[in-house]
Amino acid sequence: MLVWFLPLFLVLLMVGLPVFFALLAAPGVMLVLNGQERDLTLLYRNVYNGMDSFPLMAIPFFLLAGEMMNRGGITQRLVEFSQALVGHFRAGLAQVNILSSMLFAGLSGSAVADTSALGAMLIPAMEREGYSRRFAAAVTAASSVIGPIIPPSGIMIIYAYVMEQSVAALFLAGILPGILVGLGLMAVTNIMARRAPGAFPPLRRRAGWGEKGQASLKAFFPLLTPVIILGGILGGVFTPTEASAVAVAYAAFIALFVLRTMTWRDLPEVLSRAAIMSSVILLLVGAALAFKTVVALSHAPEALASLILSLSDNPLVLLLLINLLLFGVGMFLDAGPAIIILGPILGPIFTSLGVDPVHFAIIMSVNLTVGLATPPMGLVLFVASSVSGERVETIARAILPFLAVEVLAILLITYVPAISLALPRLFGFL
Amino acid sequence: QSVTLRATANSNETDEDYDGLVVFKDYVEAASNGEIAVELFIGTQLCGNGAECLQGVADGSIDVFVATSGGAAGLFPYIQIFDLPYLMADDRIAEEVLTNTDLTAQMRVRALQDSGDTIRIMTIGNTGGWRNFANTQRRIEGPDDLKGLKVRTVVADLPQELVRTLGASPTPIPWPELFTSLQTGVVEGTKNGITDIMGMKFPEAGLQYLTLDGHAYMAAIWVMNNEMFLSLDDDLKRVIVDGFHALQQATFASPKRKSIDAYADFVSGGGDLYVPTPEQKQAFQDAAAPVHDWFAANVDGGEEMLANFRAAIAQAEESVAARRAAELE
Amino acid sequence: MNGFLTVVRALGAVNAGALRVGRWVGVACMFLMVVFILIQVFWRYVLSNPLPWPEEAARFLMLWLMVVAPTAWRRGGFVAIDMIRLILPRGVAVVLTLALLALSFLVLVTAVQIGWSEVTGLAGRFKSSSLYYPTGDGWAKLPLGWMMASLLAGFVLLASVTVELMLRQVAVMLGAGDRLPAVPQADPVGAE
Ligand code: NA
Ligand code: NA
Repeated sequence: MLVWFLPLFLVLLMVGLPVFFALLAAPGVMLVLNGQERDLTLLYRNVYNGMDSFPLMAIPFFLLAGEMMNRGGITQRLVEFSQALVGHFRAGLAQVNILSSMLFAGLSGSAVADTSALGAMLIPAMEREGYSRRFAAAVTAASSVIGPIIPPSGIMIIYAYVMEQSVAALFLAGILPGILVGLGLMAVTNIMARRAPGAFPPLRRRAGWGEKGQASLKAFFPLLTPVIILGGILGGVFTPTEASAVAVAYAAFIALFVLRTMTWRDLPEVLSRAAIMSSVILLLVGAALAFKTVVALSHAPEALASLILSLSDNPLVLLLLINLLLFGVGMFLDAGPAIIILGPILGPIFTSLGVDPVHFAIIMSVNLTVGLATPPMGLVLFVASSVSGERVETIARAILPFLAVEVLAILLITYVPAISLALPRLFGFL
Repeated sequence: QSVTLRATANSNETDEDYDGLVVFKDYVEAASNGEIAVELFIGTQLCGNGAECLQGVADGSIDVFVATSGGAAGLFPYIQIFDLPYLMADDRIAEEVLTNTDLTAQMRVRALQDSGDTIRIMTIGNTGGWRNFANTQRRIEGPDDLKGLKVRTVVADLPQELVRTLGASPTPIPWPELFTSLQTGVVEGTKNGITDIMGMKFPEAGLQYLTLDGHAYMAAIWVMNNEMFLSLDDDLKRVIVDGFHALQQATFASPKRKSIDAYADFVSGGGDLYVPTPEQKQAFQDAAAPVHDWFAANVDGGEEMLANFRAAIAQAEESVAARRAAELE
Repeated sequence: MNGFLTVVRALGAVNAGALRVGRWVGVACMFLMVVFILIQVFWRYVLSNPLPWPEEAARFLMLWLMVVAPTAWRRGGFVAIDMIRLILPRGVAVVLTLALLALSFLVLVTAVQIGWSEVTGLAGRFKSSSLYYPTGDGWAKLPLGWMMASLLAGFVLLASVTVELMLRQVAVMLGAGDRLPAVPQADPVGAE
């Protein structure tokens, strides 16, 4: 009886109830119908205690740091730096868009922030140069999913929190997969530009060494951020959560004093925006943890686990099935709630089959991140649509070649564990 | 009358808490002839920490839960007597204190009073043996070797006071962040039982020096929703109480068996296991003594419960000594 | 009709005012969280003297960020799948929206009831591990109820905003939606 909250949840989502309310309403209604009113308290308490966590604090801090970087004109310097490096390639500005996303990923933990910051700047610029709006929006959305794969990363913080993994190990594990996705996107862009040169603007001239030097100089301080974050964590100066606060201080310092692109008067607005985003994410995390509690009460995990294991006992086959499942789930659910609800169910199955927990974390994170760029619940598509003015459906169609590459990257990451595990191993985390 | 008890422990299935619950479930379901069913929720499926789970026990959304002394300290601060260093000599004394003295009953009365008659302490067992100092830097032979070491503690004042009194720096780090913090050097030491150390793979993060100072008994406080307990008829109450006794015995035995492999693995992984001499143990005790006064002065109900505890230990030492003498006849 | 719109406008003004206060609370919390954690790093790493309180204090502040969530709700910043509502005829879509808001309101009212008993009951009496507040004679440990009140406050504000949103939908149904002051729009938000 209780398990009916799962279909109810999907129905409520599909008719447009916000995810936060759907996560609470579906189990709540079924608990009451099942005569388990006392367990509503359990639901409430898990919302609260789900948010009451020190490791989660890294999310508000990285969001705040991202806001400051953005406000501080740092985004523009990253774009100029990318332009000096790859601007003269085929489909130059598209390549700039992708490279900027990879660089931006080192400062921000969010694909949404990436899309809105880089999209606002690059989509109009690409249109002016002759790219179609839907292509510009699609490249922006597709490349922004790199944001949460390369550290810092909001979803990996959530994964580490729910699954009790080391944030530092997950951060290290995400670097190469993120670069892989970025290179894949650059390659497919190149192929598209070769196949249909007419659809793309003419080549731009190559930046001279002087310009390259100047762009590097201007991007130096922003690009130091990931070095400080990872260096500080690996050097034992601070924990990952503390690193996020240090990132805020560093971003504030360069924006206020070095680049002077932000003033003290901008600060309340920046803090307020970060606070609003953080509060919504924290509520979602809490609600997803409460939902997970009812999932446990309904004994659905045991059923799902035995169902999965009955399909095959070959980890390679199961991993493929899981990729399909996660891709499907990612279409309907945000990555954060999906990780919270499915991580504890799927993680142990694969760990017991010999898949390294860190590797599984990356498989799951990359899969669900790519789900951000697929409708109907493609958060990044919504944002790309609102910054570009292009319809979500149109972008969704234009993004297909890029999605194909990302699916290929997921398969590579799934079947070549070293892509994820080489760096954590190098630094002694495995 | 047919009831289902919802029991939870925030550990995993390799933990001695789980062993205890399995014994409890088996005993209660069989002895009640199926009138009582026990549903186990292992891990953080229902609630994620001591405070949260105890709230659940108080309002009846959870029937049975096992808390650590740290996890229950927010509501029952005096329960931290078990974290006071070097009071009980060994397992035999500790088990005698927990089975054959009035200490548990005294705590039950006090906890019922402080929880508005909602949380009932059923029994106190063990979870993970004894706390020892372990670190990444050097062998600790006496309290002086602890000086300056950054030792991880939970966010609670008693363990921090202990670490500070011994001259080290108490550093609060959340449990999931501890591996990384040891690995990178944010902290250099911990105070945990061997099964937790091995379960979290801390030696791989460099935690290679372990001193068996046994400064605190890792007590596991088993609680039940009082209303649920009182709602049972006398026969079923007896089944429950006997079930908790069986559980307690299982949690006494399980860590002893589990720690054998854990210590062997620690040493075979290159770990340095040091057993302090009686003189060195005495030095630890002397250095830590001020913590007892601090506890009596600063913790609500601390003075009274510490007096109870000391009396119980004295009584246990006496009866164990007498029985041992008889065994030696 | 005019009387109804006046009520909606008044509630809107009350909500806007309360949310403005909430946002300033959020700004202060955010700022102090950063400061506290930097203090923690400095005292531990530079002075080798770790402090017991910054972690819990920062957590306390993070929980009080809840009072800014209703701003996002009022501005339409809670993520939802909009496709069905966009496909449906306008009249049906408005009714559906109203029904979804009513369900949200039900969730919130239940949450407020439970939250109140949590804050005022046993749960709220648990003591903080490291935070104290001044009393007449010395310092006392902070009851966790002060932390738990954050979520309750957030739910109360969310409920109040939901009532306003429902009344606005009614106004839209009556064809008077354009006679109400608009709410600024927000971007969708996710941890991603
Ligand atoms: Na990132
Ligand atoms: Na991009």
